[in-house]
Amino acid sequence: MPIPVTIADDSLMSRKAVRRALPPEWDVDITEACNGKEALLAVESGKAEVLFLDLTMPELDGFGVLQYLHEHHAKTVVIVISADIQPEAKRLVDALGAFRFLHKPLQAQQLRETLFEVGLI
Amino acid sequence: MKTLLSEQQRDALQELMNISMGRAANALARLIGAKVTLSIPRIVAVTPQHFAQMLKDKDVWYTRQSFLGHIGGEVLTVLSKTGCDSIGELMDYEVPLDNETLSELLLELANILAGACLSGFAEQLGLNAKLSMPTLFFPQNQQVVQVHWASTLMMEVEFKVEASQFDSRVVICLDEIAVGILLQALNRLLE
Repeated sequence: MPIPVTIADDSLMSRKAVRRALPPEWDVDITEACNGKEALLAVESGKAEVLFLDLTMPELDGFGVLQYLHEHHAKTVVIVISADIQPEAKRLVDALGAFRFLHKPLQAQQLRETLFEVGLI
Repeated sequence: MKTLLSEQQRDALQELMNISMGRAANALARLIGAKVTLSIPRIVAVTPQHFAQMLKDKDVWYTRQSFLGHIGGEVLTVLSKTGCDSIGELMDYEVPLDNETLSELLLELANILAGACLSGFAEQLGLNAKLSMPTLFFPQNQQVVQVHWASTLMMEVEFKVEASQFDSRVVICLDEIAVGILLQALNRLLE
């Protein structure tokens, strides 16, 4: 059965970049979210076993999404893909339980390695 | 900007700016050991009148640098006068800053921010752009501000260091030829 995966990013180009970087053999059902609220909706409706999450988004940002998931003990595997690469952002993201912090522009090889580490591929 | 950029091109340009400014903020954050807050980048078409207006603020310092290569243009860095001492302290300068150290600090900050912004941006587009050293300039002292373009695309990002009440804006100005080259590169990226 395909794994439900959500890509949350306000930029169309970045959502496309994540799609392109996904390993072709990985069987997934992709949902796209343009902001944090849409990302949480996807999580709530079971469409995000894996969540690729941008940090700077309108409505609710990535930190807000992580905070919510953290408080609700959600089992979603969160992989943050961010343009904000400051040590402080990484520290916050780690504290909020994200699995990995990847830098933009996203490298396909790095994404593959990360998915391998989580045991998803 | 509606006529010049399609929605997709605008989205792509904004995201490229986001990524480059993220690098610039990281470079600054590591240098001063404090968190830097980023604004969402603004992409606008400006006329020389707008541009002249932007240079009238008395509470800021201005530096400018030109760049050459596949695309040419000018980077303007606007640095708030408030907070300079505090940033200087974080960078181990002797405070209060005297005039000479202040200008050294301003030029260093401008070079880090503008350099990281422009190199990140050009690299992602596969374009080559070499940045000259920044110089401080005082638009108030100049009768006519030299703006050698009829209309220009301006990409603006803002950095804030809240702990120091300091903020800075990096403005990348492209002339019409550079805008054409930029659009071609963007389209290649969007294919």
